[in-house]
Amino acid sequence: MSKILGNPRSIAISIICVAVLVISIFGGALGNTLGFGFFASSLPAIQLPAEKIVDGFNTPVGKWDLMNTMVTTWLAMLVLIVVSLIIRRNLKDVPGRLQALFEVVMEFFLSLCEQIAGKEKARRFFPLVFTIFIFIVAANWMGVLPGFGTVGRIAGPEEIAHHHDAHDYHDPALVTTTHESKESKAKHHGSDEAQEDGHDSHLGTVKLHVFRDYKTIPVAALSPGSLEEELTFSEYDEKNGNVGEGKRAGHLVPFLRSANTDLNMSLAIALIAMVMVHFWGFSILGFFGHAGKFISFKSGPIGFFVGILELISELGRIISFTFRLFGNIFAGEVLLMAMAFLLPLIGIIPFLGLELFVGLIQAFVFAMLTLVFASMASISHNDGDHH
Amino acid sequence: MGDLGINLPGLITQIISFVILFVILSKVLYKPLVAKLDQRAEKITAGLEAAEKAKEEAARSEEAIQAQLQEARSEGQKLVTQARETADRFREEEMAKVKEELDAERSRAESNIQRERDAAIEELRKEFANLAITAAEKVVKTSLDEEGHRALIEGVLNEERSRNN
Repeated sequence: MSKILGNPRSIAISIICVAVLVISIFGGALGNTLGFGFFASSLPAIQLPAEKIVDGFNTPVGKWDLMNTMVTTWLAMLVLIVVSLIIRRNLKDVPGRLQALFEVVMEFFLSLCEQIAGKEKARRFFPLVFTIFIFIVAANWMGVLPGFGTVGRIAGPEEIAHHHDAHDYHDPALVTTTHESKESKAKHHGSDEAQEDGHDSHLGTVKLHVFRDYKTIPVAALSPGSLEEELTFSEYDEKNGNVGEGKRAGHLVPFLRSANTDLNMSLAIALIAMVMVHFWGFSILGFFGHAGKFISFKSGPIGFFVGILELISELGRIISFTFRLFGNIFAGEVLLMAMAFLLPLIGIIPFLGLELFVGLIQAFVFAMLTLVFASMASISHNDGDHH
Repeated sequence: MGDLGINLPGLITQIISFVILFVILSKVLYKPLVAKLDQRAEKITAGLEAAEKAKEEAARSEEAIQAQLQEARSEGQKLVTQARETADRFREEEMAKVKEELDAERSRAESNIQRERDAAIEELRKEFANLAITAAEKVVKTSLDEEGHRALIEGVLNEERSRNN
């Protein structure tokens, strides 16, 4: 004990540890209730849909915007493609470490496919199953990296209001530039009192955060010590949009957000998986062989009804695929944010490990279910009856 | 759907992204790596078969060697017994020869000794006769015929000798 205390290095380390602990406990949102909270940042605005980074263009099916989850999807793709190119370039009989890692995982999935789907079908199912697995793993694990969800651009009050369906809200900070518009604004306020109240109830619970405005760099981050700097829309209106020198109010729109926290992504994978499952069903059993499972007149009205139930359960699979993945990863992100908010610095450490584990498990579950559904779809129902 | 963040353009973007990833990974990663795995599996199977074959081969040659060894051993045994027999015979012959020689030597020596003894006895007898004659001459002091005496003594001694023999 005296040895440890005598060593200046261990003294320094213990002082740092204690300091971190003190900052974490008293500086965070927990400490804020005790009157400290100097290190806490605001809890970021949590929303289900992905956030828009850049305005896009109109397409026949709707407006396409660049979303932060698209960026992370492409990043994950880029990582996987670069890694595979590296592996491919250095492909050897006696594998290096990277190749060995991929070989081990691939062997694992190949043997899994062979066990579940049989030898000749395994080679057919394997590429999709494995792609699902490594893409989801890569995307989930990337989402745990620092910078995800904490660095982004600032969305101003108007954009936020539009998001909450208050389409005629105008940012006073932008309108006050001309005297005339200010008057018209006042008039507007007066004439549509009732409607304005309605908007306030819409926006009443929405809090704006105050960020430092780096005019030239369109980047912001949740900074420590900004917990106090929150205001509601009505407070913002009272201040006429003036929140302080060199500061802006709004919400942080992170540039990077874990790809699977966007339902579009998990739904896309689920759709591809189920489409491929039924494609394999049709191609292995023939059109009538596979369609007969869902629409059958052979075994009377009960058989027909069972077929309809099967059809519904296929739809249910898509939905459960989508929401299982989305729910787990989204909840993880929220958990990490909440822990960073409550106990900054140390709070998220155990949960980072948990999120890595959850990300792996969810990827495995998705891939395994795809495999199981594929092998079920490629087995004829009639076969089962005859045996 | 909008509240959940599901929108068609976003969905289509993600589907296309995933399909692109799927195609690229299939081409770049799975095909070569699975081929490599298969190739290695084949190689290992071939290696195992070869090892099995080599093991059989080894067992067979081991057997052959064992048989040869057995043969050589019995051959050696035979040679050894033969050599031993030859040696025995040789020794017996030698022994017999030596014995014969020794016998001859001994008989020769014995006959020599006999002869020596006979000669010595003759000498002694002669001496004794002379002594007796001289003594008798001295006793009797007569000049008896020396030759008559000698014949007499000779006759006594001969009688004595024949009795001894």
